[in-house]
Amino acid sequence: MSEKATVSITVNGKVHEEEVEPRLLLVHFLREHLGLTGTHVGCDTSQCGACTVHIDGASAKSCTVFAAQADGSEVTTIEGVGSQDNLHPMQEGFWEEHGLQCGYCTPGMIMSAINLLNENPKPTEKEIREGIAGNLCRCTGYQHIVKAVQYAAEKGVVR
Amino acid sequence: MTAAERPILPKLVGERIKRREDPRLITGHATYVDDLKLPGLLHLAFKRSDSAHGVIKNIDTSAAEQMPGVELVMTGKQLAEILGPMPIGTPFPSPDHYAIATDRVRYVGEPVAVVVAADRYLARDAADAIEVDIEELPAVVDPEKAMQGEPAAVHEGFENNLAVPYVPGGTGVDPATMEVDNSALDKAFAEADVNISQRMTNQRLAPNAMEPRGVVAHWEPGKEQITIWSGTQNPHILKTMIAAQLGVGQHQVRAIAPEVGGGFGCKINIYGEEYTAAAISRKLGAPVKWIEDRSEAFMATTHGRDILAYVDLAAKRDGTVTALKLRLIADVGAYNMLLTAAVPTLTMLMLNGTYDIPVVRAELTEVFTNKTPTDAYRGAGRPEATYFVERAFDMLAHELGMDPADVRRKNFIKKDAFPYTTQMGAIYDSGDYETALDRALQNAGWEQLKQERDQARAEGRIVGLGLAYYVEVCGLGPSASLPTGGWEHAGVTIERDGRITATTGSSPHGQGNETTFAQMLAEQFGVAFDDVTILHGDTGVVKQGIGTFGSRSQAVGGTVLMNAGEKVKKKMAKFAAAMLDANEDDLVFENGMISVKGSPGSGKTFAEVASFAYVPVPLPPGVEPGLSDEAFWEPENNTYPFGCHIVMMEIDRETGEPRLTKVVAVDDAGTIINPMIVDGQIHGGLAQGIGQAMIEEVVYDEDGQLVTGSFMDYAIPRADDLPWFEMDNTVTTTPVNPMGAKGVGEAGTLGSTPAVVNAAVDALSPFGVKHVDMMLRPEKLWRLMQGGGA
Amino acid sequence: MEISGEYHFDAPRSAVWAALLDPDALQAAMPGCERFEETGPDAYDITLRVGISAIKGTYEGTVKVTERSPEDSYRLSVDGGGKPGKVQGTALMQLTEDGGGTRVAYSGDIKAQGAIARLGSRLLGGSAKMLIGQFFKEMDKQVKQRAA
Repeated sequence: MSEKATVSITVNGKVHEEEVEPRLLLVHFLREHLGLTGTHVGCDTSQCGACTVHIDGASAKSCTVFAAQADGSEVTTIEGVGSQDNLHPMQEGFWEEHGLQCGYCTPGMIMSAINLLNENPKPTEKEIREGIAGNLCRCTGYQHIVKAVQYAAEKGVVR
Repeated sequence: MTAAERPILPKLVGERIKRREDPRLITGHATYVDDLKLPGLLHLAFKRSDSAHGVIKNIDTSAAEQMPGVELVMTGKQLAEILGPMPIGTPFPSPDHYAIATDRVRYVGEPVAVVVAADRYLARDAADAIEVDIEELPAVVDPEKAMQGEPAAVHEGFENNLAVPYVPGGTGVDPATMEVDNSALDKAFAEADVNISQRMTNQRLAPNAMEPRGVVAHWEPGKEQITIWSGTQNPHILKTMIAAQLGVGQHQVRAIAPEVGGGFGCKINIYGEEYTAAAISRKLGAPVKWIEDRSEAFMATTHGRDILAYVDLAAKRDGTVTALKLRLIADVGAYNMLLTAAVPTLTMLMLNGTYDIPVVRAELTEVFTNKTPTDAYRGAGRPEATYFVERAFDMLAHELGMDPADVRRKNFIKKDAFPYTTQMGAIYDSGDYETALDRALQNAGWEQLKQERDQARAEGRIVGLGLAYYVEVCGLGPSASLPTGGWEHAGVTIERDGRITATTGSSPHGQGNETTFAQMLAEQFGVAFDDVTILHGDTGVVKQGIGTFGSRSQAVGGTVLMNAGEKVKKKMAKFAAAMLDANEDDLVFENGMISVKGSPGSGKTFAEVASFAYVPVPLPPGVEPGLSDEAFWEPENNTYPFGCHIVMMEIDRETGEPRLTKVVAVDDAGTIINPMIVDGQIHGGLAQGIGQAMIEEVVYDEDGQLVTGSFMDYAIPRADDLPWFEMDNTVTTTPVNPMGAKGVGEAGTLGSTPAVVNAAVDALSPFGVKHVDMMLRPEKLWRLMQGGGA
Repeated sequence: MEISGEYHFDAPRSAVWAALLDPDALQAAMPGCERFEETGPDAYDITLRVGISAIKGTYEGTVKVTERSPEDSYRLSVDGGGKPGKVQGTALMQLTEDGGGTRVAYSGDIKAQGAIARLGSRLLGGSAKMLIGQFFKEMDKQVKQRAA
């Protein structure tokens, strides 16, 4: 087995220095090493987007990134987006518009949706659907997710 | 706060109340099985068969056993010493099915060995290091060849691979003796003006809940008890089955469904991995975890559908359907799981559709093949029935040149005919099919859409309109119809602070029961929504239960919750009556107070009455202290919700790619508790139903290799695959339960699938196309437009 | 899955035949070949390191030549297995005069099991074509080197 490497990754504003195996995926680093279990794993071919986080401000599927590759990066997970007392407008939108059912895809979906609004603050319905097409949801049929993103766009999302 | 100062509480039932569940889910603080951590937790990985069919000659585990961090490696034979063959929930004869294959493998992905290691990476490495020597046997892939015994026998003792050899049902079939009288059937077909005859497939699907399956099992040697956390739809059934398989008492098992990331039927079955985890935890005296990979899920989690039908329909020239006959062949895969054999019987049960057809006959055969076993998948048998019937009705409309809506209207069971006993033996509770049809036609602008379609055709575009009507059987059901028992259980406690805590056996996995049930109880007691808490999913907290499937939570779980609430309310009234020196029948529960009718200011708060009930000095005569009670309840009959789905489709002439341009749904689920949640349920069902029609299909090659083994090759709908859904509903209550609620969890998958295919066939009708099997692969549609077969 | 195709060599049939069945030339032409040991007449044990669609892996297996009909045709069978699964392939190789050169036509089928089948079957045909193309190109070099 390969040598372990030390990585320094800032997650939700806090610096973490950890020894990791080179093959450790970022999503497992977040979940197993840091206990941030809000980021989920829904597939093993990077199709579903349940593991979406932000790396240096842009959304990324954390199952396709090794922890070692994220060395020196700033990572934001769903836990860093907002709290129950202080929800991010996108989280608020998902709650108001029933943008989730089982909730498993939701953290990744929210991270992608925030990224979408960062790039395009006033998307059309079509642009929203295309913007979240990398995230699979099996429960909602996406309509209420589209409304959730529209709600957040209406409120104006700041990063 | 005096009574006068208390805010008037808003009405809750029937209102769009935001979900109680969401704050933890949107902030990443929910706990799914994979989020659980226990000290000393070990991880399982399964070595699975790459062969579809073969004899296990040798399994070499030596390399795996020597790898660092590996605690234990077990083959199927070794596990079989501590774990017997798995039980099923249907009465049909069934071959032995071990959690891990002992001597033969029968589908790609069947486990052949299990590894226990310190972390999941090491467990996976060790499983990969196991060498399995399998002598290949011919793979049984085609169900119709399998029925002839070709090319091999999947199981010894099941001649011609028949899992269920032949079940006739409907007109002319004596349910007691199964004797068949064909006279009415033959007469109807002989006298028909029009006969429609078509072979149709309802293809195999992979359920794909976004959370793959997972289990944590923790046997505590000192207590001789096991706690098992599993992503299951029915923790109480899990508890019962685990106890039986481990040979321990039910008091020794606690089953917990934590947050569950979707089920869609595939998490009803109790799987080999759950039994294996429990048995190994007990053997090692240590907690173990297994989490399914997605590519594992495609092989190891039950599939859905896969029924082939030979459909014959007889009709008069005016569109009156006089007989319907279906020969059903279900490809159930390699083994019987919990409800495998029962699912196609639901297809039989629902073959009358929404129509008053005097002669309906079905014959069902279930066949073993070398594929992943099938079991329930959203709709479970009813979408198949709806698809076959609604395709046949559309073919009839096309044959007669009638409007598809008119053919349906002509044959509807009339509003005043309910309760209506169908030829298949179902007793439809209530229905008003014409009203929902009219609403759907009106919302869609049906006449205008027809003009738009004709205009588009004139311009050379490929455009079609599709309509489908459905009825489904929900609210399962009396115990006679469910091997698990058809009841549900609830408990209601008024806490000492006046808050209400309730338990429900309906263990949800995204349906929002914590919200809808709180709405109902809060309204029943006249308290604030926030003062009611719903607990579920833990057999250590919820005394009894069945679970969430068959769209039964509201109709059965909701009813029993109200029954338990009513018992506690009556008792609470006795305490309040004593405190207020009033007659208990004169009390009203509203705005968090219990008051004497007509003098709202005079009452006691909930907290005051609760406090008295737990320290009752003096104890009112004939009353015991405390405020807690429970109830069991089962309905006398199922419920039969219905609805109409309309879609418009355009197919790209150059590429054959179909695109939906309109989806209109009018559904009737009876009484609605929370319209927002009901819309969400139907949206999800529509997406899955459209997915089946357009992009989803499990494919095996001729060697039984699964070639759609990941999201790269098996598509589920993405946001940009779907148009805006135009929703509406009618309300026809059911007499089966006091609330009049019918259920809605599966409805969306029923109408949408045939509506989409009907639209595709309509679009392709200028090319002489009368039927196309799902899925609507662009290449298939393109070939049809070139005049070739699909 | 069935495969077929052909390749043109600018060399006489005898030279192409000799190269195609020469263990050294075979070893050099097999994509990703790390080991090539003769175990008997027309039978070899091999280790290949190749990627089939997205799945890279090391395969241990055997190569056999049967149905030899000199300078005319033979059957090549490859049977290998590794972590990503098993691959079995067999092809009839037919040599015919083609202008001044030689045309080698192959037809046969490939069977896959395991992750290759589940994750890569969509791309298996393309990967096989690419690997066969590499094989012939390298074999062409071998034939030319021998002629030189």
